[in-house]
Amino acid sequence: MQAKRWTEWAGVLVALLLGAGCSGGEAPPPLDLVAVTWDEIEARAEGQTVNLAMWTGDPSVNDYMRGYVDSTLQARYGIDLQISSAQGNQIVSMLMTEREAGAAQSEFDMTWINGETFYQLRQIDALYGPFVEALPNRRYLDLDSRFIHTDFQQPIDGYEAPWGNVQFALIVDTTRVADPWQTREELADWVEAHPGRFTFDASFSGMTFLKMLLIDIAGGGDALAGPFDGATYERHSAALWDYIRRLQPHLWKQGATFPRDVSRLHQLYVNGEVDYTMSNNDGEVDNKVAQGLFPLTSRAYVPAFGSIQNTHYWGIPQRAADKAGALVAINFLLSPEAQHRKLRPDVWGDGTVLDVDALPPPWPARFAAAAEREHAPERSAIQDRAQMELAPEYMIRLYDDFRTEIIEP
Amino acid sequence: MSEGREPVLHPPSASAPPGPPDAGGARASAAQRLRRLVGGDGIGAVGLVLFVTIAVLPIAVSLGYALLYSIGAVGLLSDGLTGAHWQVLVQEAEIWRAFGWSLYIAGATVLLAISLALALALGLHRPLSEGPLSTIIYLPLAIPGTVAAFLVFQLFSGAGWMARVALTLGLIDTPAQFPDLVQDPWGIGIIAAHVGLAVPFFVLLFGQIYESERVRSLMELAATLGASRSQRLYRIAVPILLKRAFTNVLLLFVAVLGSYEIPLLLDQQSPQMLSVLTMRKYGLYDLADKPEAFIIALLYTALVGVVIALAFRYGHDAYDV
Repeated sequence: MQAKRWTEWAGVLVALLLGAGCSGGEAPPPLDLVAVTWDEIEARAEGQTVNLAMWTGDPSVNDYMRGYVDSTLQARYGIDLQISSAQGNQIVSMLMTEREAGAAQSEFDMTWINGETFYQLRQIDALYGPFVEALPNRRYLDLDSRFIHTDFQQPIDGYEAPWGNVQFALIVDTTRVADPWQTREELADWVEAHPGRFTFDASFSGMTFLKMLLIDIAGGGDALAGPFDGATYERHSAALWDYIRRLQPHLWKQGATFPRDVSRLHQLYVNGEVDYTMSNNDGEVDNKVAQGLFPLTSRAYVPAFGSIQNTHYWGIPQRAADKAGALVAINFLLSPEAQHRKLRPDVWGDGTVLDVDALPPPWPARFAAAAEREHAPERSAIQDRAQMELAPEYMIRLYDDFRTEIIEP
Repeated sequence: MSEGREPVLHPPSASAPPGPPDAGGARASAAQRLRRLVGGDGIGAVGLVLFVTIAVLPIAVSLGYALLYSIGAVGLLSDGLTGAHWQVLVQEAEIWRAFGWSLYIAGATVLLAISLALALALGLHRPLSEGPLSTIIYLPLAIPGTVAAFLVFQLFSGAGWMARVALTLGLIDTPAQFPDLVQDPWGIGIIAAHVGLAVPFFVLLFGQIYESERVRSLMELAATLGASRSQRLYRIAVPILLKRAFTNVLLLFVAVLGSYEIPLLLDQQSPQMLSVLTMRKYGLYDLADKPEAFIIALLYTALVGVVIALAFRYGHDAYDV
């Protein structure tokens, strides 16, 4: 009898354990954006706790979000913003696991996403939308720009709201390199003459750099625009790997290993181990100099063959519990006020997604003043060198092939 | 670690564990056998239920899930049952390199850490048991793996403190001339960080065993019987310490085998240690790679299982005197 009783108990415990893993409470009430007005959304948002997942690897970004955005949202809309740390692929993993486990609610209500994350989240149908049309501040967005309305060759279709727009730039210390390379040939010559003084990271920025070289090899401009084409990729990537193999013995650590991510590359640059670093954000150099991290003689530039311009966005998980709060928060992040502050190099130096000239006064003048920087060329000066992001499959293949072709020969 | 209470110099007693007398023999029902297993009283039953629900079940469920995921039985992007992921994966040289690399790092760490700790514990036994050194030796135990890795990086990277010292002394002119000690082809940085963390722990452990097993008295006894110094060390002290610390040594091996933060900071891009590789496969942009992460995790679990089984089967009595 006794044995039977405790095996029953064990059964109950097991059921509880399994049950806890399978259900995450009640499903959030649906939010039909056609049926509710913005005033109603703001009313619903009041008192909500909005859980936000984002990359927290940069102190300036964190200060902007934690010192300014969260307190403003609390004061104006009664929203309690809770920021947690998660990066692109972790966010995808979390949302994917939630869906696989059949969770009714997502762990977070809004998330900072980039092109490849957008592609993955759309692939697993994890995003709520379309919602951008419902935001009052969408009227200021520069949605005519093809760098903004299309993310990695995929139309955003209202499933993510643009937040910032940046262009890739190389950064060089002018006291060490007076005349930086501008073309692939010049780069090859330079690394041969300066062994160990150049490398790129094995993560997002480095792969973006490879993508830029790939576009240049393919003929530049829109040579690789449109959907992914395997045969085209094979042809041009073969040339790319030949080129990288030519550089490899002259790279940092003889190209046997590469910095894991761009912050490591920054470290090597600051330590004086390499003479170049790079950034996805043309404005980062001013910010890093202002922080005292980069030497005052640092200078960002875009090589003659161009660089990729990239927009980053906000998305809302389909099963977010506090969608109203997330919508109000995102709308605030797109306001001229919040965008202007983010643009200031002493705050973050992140490019705006607003159509600045169409803003009501005094904003155009303010944006022009905030956009001024000392260590990077004006955005208008590098705009004609901007390359579009390629279809996400290019990035996936570059990640894979970089390992098989270069790291594990 | 419960075996640690048995006297080492005598053969282990073969008596059966205490329990109720065997009543039903081979015809005992499952319930009876279970009851006997847990000792018949309620406390044993609760303990077993807790052990199963907290320790066994979650792991079993995770492994089952990993297995199902790896064959496409579950997963958001799965197209149905397939053996393709396994086929692809076992052909990837990267995976087998990761296994070899992890075994090498774990083996080298255990060898170095244990040799060093033995030397310290036996050579510095007195200063380690009294005086300032006896306190200082505890300090490294408070250092987390990430911090240890960071310290190694700060000390030994191309622009680290050591390189700066070398530069000041005129030994090198550029960071590239400093020998590769982190993110190097031999895993020196990873092994150094692990050894640094493990040595103080094992010095303390060996020190305590030295006391509790009265190794000094035994060595003195051996000396009076005519044993030389090296005989006393290698036939008495070292075997006793190793035998009694066997479980801990094994745990060190397993812990290093599966370590994540230290190799994440200090390794090269290739080969990668198993945990780092698994997380890379799990979080890569290509979502189709996710089943591969589960396969590596399964293979890793199997490897640890085999290591532990072999070690307990053959390694257990290796140092019995």
